[in-house]
Amino acid sequence: MAVMTNILQTDLNGIILKNPIMTASGTYGYNNEYDDFINVSSLGAIVTKAISLNPREGNKHTRITETEAGMINSIGLENVGVEKFINEKLPVLKSENIDFFVNVAGSTLDEYCQVAKICDENNIKAIELNVSCPNVKSGCLEFGVDEKSLYELVSSVRKEYGGFLTVKLTPNVTSIEKLGVAAQNAGANAISAINTLKGSKIKISCINGRVQKEIITGGYSGRGIKPVAIGIVIRLSKAVDIPIIGIGGIETLEDVLEFLSAGADAVQIGTANFTHPDIAQKLVSELEEYIIKNGFKDLNELKKELRK
Amino acid sequence: MLQEKTKKIYKAKVVRVEKVSSSSYLIETELPYKVEIKAGQFISVYCDGLTLRRPFSVYSHNNNIIGILFKERGKGTNYIKSLKTGDEIDITGPLGNGFNIKNKKSLLIGAGIGVAAMAFLKSELDKNGIENLFVCGFLNKHEIPNCINIDKIYTDDGSVGEKGSVLNYLDQMINNYKPEIIYTCGPYIVLKTIAETAQQYGLEVQVAMEKVMACGIGVCRGCVIDIKKNGEIVNTTVCKDGPVFLGSEVVWQ
Repeated sequence: MAVMTNILQTDLNGIILKNPIMTASGTYGYNNEYDDFINVSSLGAIVTKAISLNPREGNKHTRITETEAGMINSIGLENVGVEKFINEKLPVLKSENIDFFVNVAGSTLDEYCQVAKICDENNIKAIELNVSCPNVKSGCLEFGVDEKSLYELVSSVRKEYGGFLTVKLTPNVTSIEKLGVAAQNAGANAISAINTLKGSKIKISCINGRVQKEIITGGYSGRGIKPVAIGIVIRLSKAVDIPIIGIGGIETLEDVLEFLSAGADAVQIGTANFTHPDIAQKLVSELEEYIIKNGFKDLNELKKELRK
Repeated sequence: MLQEKTKKIYKAKVVRVEKVSSSSYLIETELPYKVEIKAGQFISVYCDGLTLRRPFSVYSHNNNIIGILFKERGKGTNYIKSLKTGDEIDITGPLGNGFNIKNKKSLLIGAGIGVAAMAFLKSELDKNGIENLFVCGFLNKHEIPNCINIDKIYTDDGSVGEKGSVLNYLDQMINNYKPEIIYTCGPYIVLKTIAETAQQYGLEVQVAMEKVMACGIGVCRGCVIDIKKNGEIVNTTVCKDGPVFLGSEVVWQ
């Protein structure tokens, strides 16, 4: 029997994925929830919902709304907390052979470090630091907009955690390059870019001559943010040497190719999972077919060609 | 024979689209697989170009044919109503938990398009030989879907049936019919009022809730409501943990 070589294998500088198609935090639950639609273990990796030290209830007001080319969410990092994650969610990831990154969030530097340490103690192979959630009052985003704070956070987490570490950056900054370099210098293995863009929608209705409105502010995601994400990946890839995981509005194979061309080594599918819950698995097959059809040896060769 | 499929995503075929009232449409779709569906469960439909799928209570179900009844509300429903027989439709489901059917004398109250879930429940109760009364409230006679048999109708303008909101007749209905359980689906205020009234009579009421959803499977936490469980109030998803809840569990706003 011929040895099957995996042409989609993806080396991310410290972890090897079976393919570059991942799913983004907050859109894929904690483990096998999408088994209703696909075989989750076929994906490069899923990124869990953000995990904080203690459970969080999230926000009370309207949490989601559709927009012209995507949606706005303001979930507020609702999650079960690291203890419950380790006890209840992790065993399923393991028993179903799902490759995963744990998305780590915190309000303080100390909280990030504690969660990272618990991940380290439980032999979790990869974490993604969430320094870019726009929907919580303290922490998170404030580490993601200042390069000194980011450097301090990532290097502190690095001391507690020995596995693969990627830092998920926010686009809501002036100079993304400085933040990418800070994460790299602090010991990150990779950079995930981008998280949502801060945005608002005003719902207006008029009843008996009186205007009623609801303002929903949160993170804008979906198709509309793709050009922003591509632009940021291009800028980051010129500024840092570590791999970039591209995120933002990916829905089609063409989108994946665009991100690879911009300099991403892997991609995460986010909002599109809601629209097409089987999209991630489809993109894995479509990417493989594309490589074979066009006569490339493997993904690495395709990437080289795309970046010429 | 149709096989069962383990994954809940389908390319179905539209077999019927029909305007059934001044503002509502019936669409029937044929799935390539046989599916099990409980009354109160929903399906989610991809609407060309829109980010969020649109959830609909199942109105009718027979082997692999699923019917939904919907009101034209915006871009999503406008797309679905524009489909023609033979068109492909992208469906996920069945999603959520349906009604927990009890062998008890049942009062079913639908309001507006909430009539859809109630009609499916009625057919299930009839199949199981459970005594029931199916009442429904509408704005006027033009809003009543012509495909449904309703035992008693209430219209706000009195154009057919009793005049006034179905809510004005709750006490009378309960006192006359003496149900042992109430099931309901409709606008929030209707569900809330029915839940509160049922509580006064010590009656169990199951309500089918509605909320804007993104994932439909409980992961995005976009559609949570407050539910009382064991003395604690917990964030509970309408899509996965619901859409049917006990009226007494819901923390009404």
